[in-house]
Amino acid sequence: MYRKQLRRRRAALALLVAASLALLTAYFGEGANGGLHSAQRGVVAVLAPIEEGAHRALKPARDFFGWIDDTLGAKGENERLQSELNELRTRLAAAERATSENRDLKRLVGLRRREGFPDGYGNVTARVITRSPTVWYSTITVDKGRSSGIRPDQAVVTGEGLIGRISTVTAGTAQVTLITDHTSAVSAEVVPSGAAGVIKPQVGNPEDLLLDFIEKGRRVRKGQTIITAGWRSGDLESLFPRGIPVGRVTDASVEERETYQRVHIEPFADLRRVRFVQVLVPASRKSGAAGARAATGAGGGQ
Amino acid sequence: MIFTGPIVLRLVALAFAVLIFQLAFLSQITIAGSHPDIVPALVVVMGLLGGSLAGAVAGFSIGLFVDSALIQTMGASSLVLLGVGYLAGRFREIFDITNELWPPLVAGGLTALAITGYALIQFLLGVDAPVSALIVRDLLVKSALAVVLSIPLYVGTRRIVRAAMIDDRPRRRRAQTVPMGIGRR
Repeated sequence: MYRKQLRRRRAALALLVAASLALLTAYFGEGANGGLHSAQRGVVAVLAPIEEGAHRALKPARDFFGWIDDTLGAKGENERLQSELNELRTRLAAAERATSENRDLKRLVGLRRREGFPDGYGNVTARVITRSPTVWYSTITVDKGRSSGIRPDQAVVTGEGLIGRISTVTAGTAQVTLITDHTSAVSAEVVPSGAAGVIKPQVGNPEDLLLDFIEKGRRVRKGQTIITAGWRSGDLESLFPRGIPVGRVTDASVEERETYQRVHIEPFADLRRVRFVQVLVPASRKSGAAGARAATGAGGGQ
Repeated sequence: MIFTGPIVLRLVALAFAVLIFQLAFLSQITIAGSHPDIVPALVVVMGLLGGSLAGAVAGFSIGLFVDSALIQTMGASSLVLLGVGYLAGRFREIFDITNELWPPLVAGGLTALAITGYALIQFLLGVDAPVSALIVRDLLVKSALAVVLSIPLYVGTRRIVRAAMIDDRPRRRRAQTVPMGIGRR
């Protein structure tokens, strides 16, 4: 009797392990429109109203925890902000002069741009309803989807700067892959030096990004700002429009053995506590533009 | 535990409620630089109460749900959590859980194992970025939080499935026998 039970238990366990491995294999083998991916989108679509309701209902509890976290972090933050304030006062004077010059120059060449917002883009504001708890998937789900004009690969920002791109869309929700996800790569530029590189995350540390592939000759200094590079080459163009602020250089080390220098960046946006986001939607979506885009996934700068 | 239709329904409803709580609340708060994860603790509790087979099935199903709801690699969470559920169940089958401290400790230990297992699967699948040493801090914080979270979870789940527990049914008080003719006042 006991032996029979043992055999049955082992058989069930083997079956479940085999099913998991089969799912893993099938998931990797199929494309984004495959059966398992579609099933996932279906589950997300069904769960979205429940998650949104729970998100609203649990807001007071979440705010309470946020308040505790803010209070604990406020002391250290205050000291850091004081020193930053002194530095920023000096920079403000220089920036005001530069803005004034910039305005004059734009007027001269007939450009009309909104400050800090890429040209030719509108925005869809969305609320974060869920996020992945594991460090291996830096993803969040927002409460706006295809019906609001959101499409895969659109850039997602907060008031502070770039946070990621849209990876999956359902009718009423969209999943955002954050720039701290290990599959993320963003082509970026250091201002004012103009050095270009690719931003990669460090898995497990959302406060430290790496700007890689910067030529050794280019001088990058602590405190400099990183923006998206927004390149275009023929029909190919970057997923992220040029000029979105990403973060600030915290360390720029040059290893003798390395061909490129590696720069550490602290993102402007607090990626652990994102509540509202803005999805940058092209004002006039060109037909077939998605196909022409360089949706290279991992490795290449997007 | 004796699995009947209503008991399975109760467990499914509990798992669903806990998972929604995880997605809509726990994943969005930060404690000591980490997001609490109650999912491995939930699987451990089910394994401790239901045995190895029930634990494995619960782990597989909950993992499938998590991967679907968060659009993660299908099968990865299932594989890790079914192992966690099976081990929790075997723990209960081999050792007698007489001390109330065991469930939270087992939940903490198996949460650490689940996070390690998940990391191994990710490495096997290929990670395209450098990995920070801070994932060790994440592992420790999540395990410690799992110890705390599993206490109410274990008590609550045990209460919900109490009717199906073989060794935990409310015992009927046997009528006290008294010598004939002598009444109790």
